[in-house]
Amino acid sequence: MAVYKVSVVVTKSDHPGAIVNLEVAPEVGKTLSLGNEEFTIVEVLELMPPRGDFHFLHVTCIPKNLEE
Amino acid sequence: MEIKQIMKGVELFDGLSDEELDKVISLCQERRYKDNDVIAIQNSPGKDLFIIQEGFVEVAVAGRAGGTSKVIVNLGVGQTVGEMSLVDQGPRSATVRAINTPTVVQVITHEAFEKLCETNTQIGYVVMRNMAADLSFRLRQRHLSDITG
Repeated sequence: MAVYKVSVVVTKSDHPGAIVNLEVAPEVGKTLSLGNEEFTIVEVLELMPPRGDFHFLHVTCIPKNLEE
Repeated sequence: MEIKQIMKGVELFDGLSDEELDKVISLCQERRYKDNDVIAIQNSPGKDLFIIQEGFVEVAVAGRAGGTSKVIVNLGVGQTVGEMSLVDQGPRSATVRAINTPTVVQVITHEAFEKLCETNTQIGYVVMRNMAADLSFRLRQRHLSDITG
């Protein structure tokens, strides 16, 4: 069972960002839900090499309503 | 979701066998919070570890003079809060508040956890290694947040 531990930074917003576990790898252009809010992923980076079932990623995203 | 499934998704316990994970789970106590409930207060004593089972929490830090606090990150399911106090036994470094109803956390007391790690050094080693990796993750996360946030 792969777990994607993701550090999320939200730009163009005062959202503080988040750390979440995802079951599916995040991809640029896909939607990321944080609670009741939805964001569009604009960048995905590997933060640290994977260990065991865990993958460590960093995602930058923007609020869905600001998508161009 | 079943607690064992949640715990398997907690990086802190990655590498533990099913039997070892059961021992950790036996220490857990469930607490339920509503939106805006405070889970931990910055600078207060408190050495327990919180594992988020459901919902989201926000982590806020106030300046040294006790001024306005700033939310630095939100944490979702599978994330932990309080591991710094577990290691250094210092006061809480941030205020933690539930931002969803319900927010469900599993709590492990410092005393119970330390006792388990002392009697089962394999669990202790794995958890401490993972804790170091988690702190590294958060440090890297902060660096990127400062640049891009």
